[in-house]
Amino acid sequence: MRQAGMALALTFVAAAPGLAHPHVWVDTGIEVILDAEGRATALRIRWDYDEFYSLLIVEERGLDADHDGTATPAEKRALNGFDMKWQEGFAGDTYALSGDTPLVLSPPQDWTADYQGGRLQSTHLRRIDPPVALDRPLTVQIYDPGFYTDYDISFAPVFTPLLPEGCRAEVLAPDPATVDRQLLDALAEYGADQDVEADFPAVGAQFAEELRLTCAR
Amino acid sequence: MRPLIRPLVLAGLAVALGLVVLWATGGLTALRLWAEAGAREVQRDLAGAVRGIAAGQPGAVAGLLGIAFAYGFFHAVGPGHGKLLIGGYGLARRVPILRLAGLALAASLAQATVAVLMVYGLVLGLGWARTRVEGLAQDLFLPLSHAAILALALWLVWRGLRGLRAATLAAPAGGLLGGRQVGGARLLGHGATCATDCACGAGHGVTLAQAATVTTWREAAALVAGVAFRPCSGALFLLIVSWQMGIAAAGIAGVYAMGLGTALVSIAVALLAVWSREGALAALPPGLARAVPLLEFTAGLVIAAVAAPLLWQSLGY
Repeated sequence: MRQAGMALALTFVAAAPGLAHPHVWVDTGIEVILDAEGRATALRIRWDYDEFYSLLIVEERGLDADHDGTATPAEKRALNGFDMKWQEGFAGDTYALSGDTPLVLSPPQDWTADYQGGRLQSTHLRRIDPPVALDRPLTVQIYDPGFYTDYDISFAPVFTPLLPEGCRAEVLAPDPATVDRQLLDALAEYGADQDVEADFPAVGAQFAEELRLTCAR
Repeated sequence: MRPLIRPLVLAGLAVALGLVVLWATGGLTALRLWAEAGAREVQRDLAGAVRGIAAGQPGAVAGLLGIAFAYGFFHAVGPGHGKLLIGGYGLARRVPILRLAGLALAASLAQATVAVLMVYGLVLGLGWARTRVEGLAQDLFLPLSHAAILALALWLVWRGLRGLRAATLAAPAGGLLGGRQVGGARLLGHGATCATDCACGAGHGVTLAQAATVTTWREAAALVAGVAFRPCSGALFLLIVSWQMGIAAAGIAGVYAMGLGTALVSIAVALLAVWSREGALAALPPGLARAVPLLEFTAGLVIAAVAAPLLWQSLGY
């Protein structure tokens, strides 16, 4: 019986990393930019922040003085780049792979920002270096490894200039029950020297939605 | 134990075991998804309510309080350190159910107070930026919280050790440990103060009921501090936004409403922890009642094993 009590206590302990639950929600859009040879050269990422986080960012900067949820052209200029001062080592919560090989993405460039209907929207460009042929599936995953921010792929993927012939684009979301099982498995192997709350590595990836572009050869 | 109550108490064990099984088999996925969807909805409503207050809409303050309460609730439904502490403590120590529930409430309100003091003390008093406040939460308050948890864990270990020692010393005396009423009380540690002479006179109060009321201010303080020094970022957000928009009082009230929403969940955890613990105790054959300090000791050790590395790391080592 006391084992039962301990099992419950251990459950509380093991469940502690669940503290890493989302506090910010971002609706994400992905545009894949291709060159004349059909290689993927860049990604344009669109982030639409949730209403409350948007309000925080805007009010903190003393913008939108009339609180109408819409930025004037001047306010828009003041907002531009608000989410583009990335700390060293921040991967931009965007991960691209060709097959199983991670691709190198440039720092963000050509960014934009807007505030409409109470929601902040930004876009930025990440160059794929070097451009990658689509002979293997191209996967773009959007996630915060710490799962503080919850990214959903909410907009239909865009291909510029066009989705290449013979290619198929899918947006895939993980099965929630599988995610929770993986989470429990990961916790079982958690080292005592890891801060389960501050440092919640890799598991965010399991919650990631992804765009997969597969081309017939 | 009164015969009518016993089945009810035993049911607590069944409920706890059921939850453990649900958790282990992924059956709580639906709960997680529901809470996350709720948290997302509330995020939208919160922004609307704050705007409504700033625009002077009637009834908007009441709306904010309700939404903030829901925010606290949905964010607390997922597992977190407050529930770990309250639940672990309720399992490890025979604390009266209302007292633990009261501690859970106090901890949540203290957490709200820490958030208010942090934002108004640092952001307004010293002109700090939000990111710097969040940095402080990480650099100072996180280690403080871990230290409080560690202190509580070591306290549990020590109590468990004292209880075990008392049991060892008392065992040769025979009949003393025969009945759960007396033995249980001794083994809960209260009798340990007289372990060496073991007279445990009538005035010393070794009945189960009296032993069950043993909690010290130190334990209570460690428990509350362990929870409170970890302000929720949602509370910080709300305080900063409401101050910026000139509705500071509504924001502070909203943060306490969040605390009440969080308390609702941690009180439920407290009730469940006490219920399942009593169920486990009731299911123990009388002779096994001496396992109680072992439970205390082990729970303390487990929590310490988790908290010590956390403290170490949050101090930057």
